[in-house]
Amino acid sequence: MFKILFGTITFSAMLRMSAPLILSAVGGSFNNRAGTLNIAHEAIMLIGAFFAVYGSYLTSNPWIGLLVAIGVCLIVSVIYGVFVFHIGSNPMVVSIALNTGAGGFTALVLYSLFRIRGSLVDSRIKSFSVIDIPFIKNIPWLGKIVSGQIALVYIAFLFAAIAWIVMYRTTFGLHIRAVGMNPKAAQTAGISILKYKWIANIICGIADGAAGAFLPLCGISMFTEDMSSGRGFLAVAAILIGQGNPIKVMLSCLLFGYAEALTVSLQNINIPSQIVLMLPYVATVFVLLVSGIRNLKTQKDVL
Amino acid sequence: MASETILELKHITKRFGKLVANDDISFKLKRGTVHAIIGENGAGKSTLMNILTDIYKADSGDIYLNGEKVIFKDPMDACKHGIGMVYQEFMLFNSLTVLENIIMGFEKKKRGLIDTRANRKAVEEICNKYGFVLPLDACVKDLPVSLLQQVEIVKILYRGAEILILDEPTSILTPQGIEGLFKAIRFLVQSGKTVIFITHKLKEVLAIADAITVLRNGKLIADIRPEDANEEKLANLMVGRDVLLRVKKEEKKIGNPVLSVKNLSVKDSDGNVRVKDVNFEVRAGEIVGIAGVANSGQKELIESLYGLCIPEKGAEIYLEEKEITHFSCRERRCSGIGYVPQDRLHDGVNSGAELWESAIMGYHIAHGFKNSVMLDYDDINMFSKKIIEEYAVKTPNQHAIVGTLSGGNIQKLIVGREFSQENRLLIIEDPTRGIDIGAIEFIWKKIISLAASGVGILLVSHELNEVMELSDHILVMYNGKLYDGGHSGELTEEKIGYLMMGGAHDA
Amino acid sequence: MMRDKRWSRDHIAEITKYALSFAAVMLIGAVLIGIQGENPVTAIAAIFQGSLGSGKAIGNSIRWSIPCVLSGISAAVAFKSGVNNLGIEGQMYCGALCAAMVGYMIHLPAGIHVAVSILAGAVAGLLYALIPALMRMFLKINEMVVTLMMNYIAVLATEYITIRLISLSAVANPLSVETPVIDESAALPVLLAGTKANAGIFIAVLTVVVIAWVYKYTIKGYELKQVGENPHFSKIGGINVKKTFASIFLISGFIGGMCGAVEVTGAYKKFTASFAGTLGWDGIMIARIAKNKPFAVLVVSFLWGILKAGSLQMERVTNINRLTVTLIQAIFVLFITVDYEKVFELFSSRKKKRVAVEGGKAHV
Repeated sequence: MFKILFGTITFSAMLRMSAPLILSAVGGSFNNRAGTLNIAHEAIMLIGAFFAVYGSYLTSNPWIGLLVAIGVCLIVSVIYGVFVFHIGSNPMVVSIALNTGAGGFTALVLYSLFRIRGSLVDSRIKSFSVIDIPFIKNIPWLGKIVSGQIALVYIAFLFAAIAWIVMYRTTFGLHIRAVGMNPKAAQTAGISILKYKWIANIICGIADGAAGAFLPLCGISMFTEDMSSGRGFLAVAAILIGQGNPIKVMLSCLLFGYAEALTVSLQNINIPSQIVLMLPYVATVFVLLVSGIRNLKTQKDVL
Repeated sequence: MASETILELKHITKRFGKLVANDDISFKLKRGTVHAIIGENGAGKSTLMNILTDIYKADSGDIYLNGEKVIFKDPMDACKHGIGMVYQEFMLFNSLTVLENIIMGFEKKKRGLIDTRANRKAVEEICNKYGFVLPLDACVKDLPVSLLQQVEIVKILYRGAEILILDEPTSILTPQGIEGLFKAIRFLVQSGKTVIFITHKLKEVLAIADAITVLRNGKLIADIRPEDANEEKLANLMVGRDVLLRVKKEEKKIGNPVLSVKNLSVKDSDGNVRVKDVNFEVRAGEIVGIAGVANSGQKELIESLYGLCIPEKGAEIYLEEKEITHFSCRERRCSGIGYVPQDRLHDGVNSGAELWESAIMGYHIAHGFKNSVMLDYDDINMFSKKIIEEYAVKTPNQHAIVGTLSGGNIQKLIVGREFSQENRLLIIEDPTRGIDIGAIEFIWKKIISLAASGVGILLVSHELNEVMELSDHILVMYNGKLYDGGHSGELTEEKIGYLMMGGAHDA
Repeated sequence: MMRDKRWSRDHIAEITKYALSFAAVMLIGAVLIGIQGENPVTAIAAIFQGSLGSGKAIGNSIRWSIPCVLSGISAAVAFKSGVNNLGIEGQMYCGALCAAMVGYMIHLPAGIHVAVSILAGAVAGLLYALIPALMRMFLKINEMVVTLMMNYIAVLATEYITIRLISLSAVANPLSVETPVIDESAALPVLLAGTKANAGIFIAVLTVVVIAWVYKYTIKGYELKQVGENPHFSKIGGINVKKTFASIFLISGFIGGMCGAVEVTGAYKKFTASFAGTLGWDGIMIARIAKNKPFAVLVVSFLWGILKAGSLQMERVTNINRLTVTLIQAIFVLFITVDYEKVFELFSSRKKKRVAVEGGKAHV
């Protein structure tokens, strides 16, 4: 039991499982802080996953795959931004349309490019290779966990740290938070609301692209339809729990990743995977509940 | 003290549609002075200041800064020219610190990051120079309003303002807070800054201003020095003597109280007491008018009477003999209270829907249908048509979309709806705001004839003229308290105006 | 009269908007089919062949229309009153599982059994909606995210309960997690032999009619509409807005649960984990396209059903993935969300817009 909960394999898996969540959720934090609702991470990630595979297939280079994924996700984000910021579409409906449409889109592109359905496996698709970090890999317990991951894992954590610095230590982050907190006041301080919302949206697109690329290129080297399988919504949950603070968001993602890592091992000792997988969602509802109770005292009834 | 002209406005005119908000206004501002701009609501003060900060563009007229003509590109440009404004509604970020709020948009940077030390130093210098003591690391939401105002002032000083516009800065402050603010203003002025002080409180004007400009109906009425003025004179200038409309009132019988309010105190959502221990009654057939400048507590008073917010403990509200203090809106409506809200489109109608849907609101539960489950379309059509006809609502039929009607017609619809139900008490808030003179006269006549039929009416209006013309009994609200303004005709408009500006506050 | 003209002009604008969106989507659809190397005409012919071409095809269309109508009306009811219930999927799963359990565990006479099953499912959906409803009512917690999260909880929880029911310790493939088949007495009668078209269509249509009737003819319906369109006005008019929100949530959940129950008793005869696919989202999209109008929901749902049934056929006879249709549907929704006045503004009068923005800011 102890070995399952605290073993190196579990922790190593936790880092791996949480990395795409971190990428997507930390990117989404910018949108969250700028006051833009976006629950389309699921869709953007899925599209990213496909194009990462495609890029890797064409060049046998996962890094090119990553770039292709980021590029395409950027386009999707721009579409989202145009609809939501400029032509008055409801962000919730646009998100839902994207989420439902993305499955069709990737399946369609998959078929028209490869005449294949379901999943794409090909020897030309190359995943990222694992990196052994010198010195650290020799540390007894930690080495096995931290070393030997693919580059994107390290990038994800680096991204969270940088995002935190950007959010709380730069004028840019201050302005993004200002725009989300009180747009009118931001405007009187000479801050362009649209500009910052757009930048946040772009960051979100790039991060979702990287998250999407992670899924197929983390070792399995294949694309399957519906590959994102709810991770986009987990990212939404993490953003909410972490309240858009990159470090808190990252910690929530680690927790979700831990739960995911445990599912396989826990099944062996009769704890059903469903209950474990449910944890992130239950936690989100619980966190919302607690914050709601806390706000109750300060808020006054409007309706 | 230096006395060269820092700013001059020449022939500023601004129209909104037919309304002339600023009509050929010119004045000069001297460096190192406090210049007060006074006037009633809608006199054009805010418009003028918005032109000065380039939120509006003037239709005609020029602005001269230090003797040179300037044309601002955008509000930021005005700011760069040294014109800064403290809005009535604070422009602050609640969960950021005071320091972050002050430097927002004008941060000093070092290697891409915010240089907190340099920013803090700059802000501290300003605080020291002008005598402000601010907790720079405290979160804004934890501070009292008087400090927030200082944060706003320091913020615009940090942005390099030479001319500070303070829009109704005292409306949210306690007497001590006002004293503190005045001290700060005097200090600022001594250090060479110039302050434009917008208010409608006369005592304050006389206490702080070096020059006074009076606006009325968009026109500049007078430029006087405080030495030459007193409160009566200023009130006179502000309110003016020209009464727009008169209505004939007939003799009528005043009956028993329909509304009795005892010990009513109400807090707003921020926990400030906005209505302070108010007692009054409205009798059947009587029109009780509540006059007062905006934000004196009228909103909270009405909300508590109508069940939109909960009063403090100890309050008692009676409708005839029945206590209704804790009734919901629905229960109050069913007991016979009608309400004409101030914000027509937001609260009064469903503007995207058909006319009849707005026409039967309230009627559908309180006094209308015999059947309590089904909509009775005959009754709906009859009731809607009755309103349309009796209240002369200009519309093709009851199926027109409410939003396509003019403001006056929407107001007639709301008034018609509330007046056509068998209510015993009507609460009416600014019934004629922003509608044309014909509609005003029409609604006034309806109010009077309704009172004559035995309904008690509580009229809350920001138009002093309206209260004076319609009311049998006048109450004046100032800073949450009610003062007796006497019965119809007992007090002159000037006296009431004087009460409105807090004339009886210290008496 | 003037105003009459304006009124009808709005209608024409609305119809034009839909027609243009439809035309644009058809064009995009043709291109999408084209790049898959097929002739769009053949594909569309296949769709109609598979949805309306034969008795069986019509049966399939009806079968797929049923859940669309129910989840669509569930969403429409919620959105019409301003409740963002994104949790229809979760409510559907609860309803489906409950109906299946009643269907195979309890044995009742025919007729009563199916009614009890469906009712049990509907109540399960209602109870599941009660959680976000209470959170909204008492704690003012935004229901959108809560319901979104609860969808996943429901999917996983029903899967887990099913596993416990059939006492499998752990199953690797969720598609094989299913309850035993329900009693014959708990199944809705089949309408067209050889298809899955079942009496659920009557339940669905009846639900729409009842909802439409409530909106049109009852005081409650009037209140529900007003609350959705202007809650402040409604509150002042004496409507208890909070309670209305909560009850709307429950009604929406009730219909959502019923949708799941009808799927089980009508089409599948058993509960299968993760059976619903995107049905919950379909409902939301249908409601958006139908502008929350009950009868429009019916029309759009039939269109959806036709496309669903047809797309399966299309996949069989051509090389086109049926998800192409899903994509086309999503694009159609995107087009419908656009505020065309804003688009017009964006292109025609840039300068004017700038002033308008400043004007908006002026009310500080």
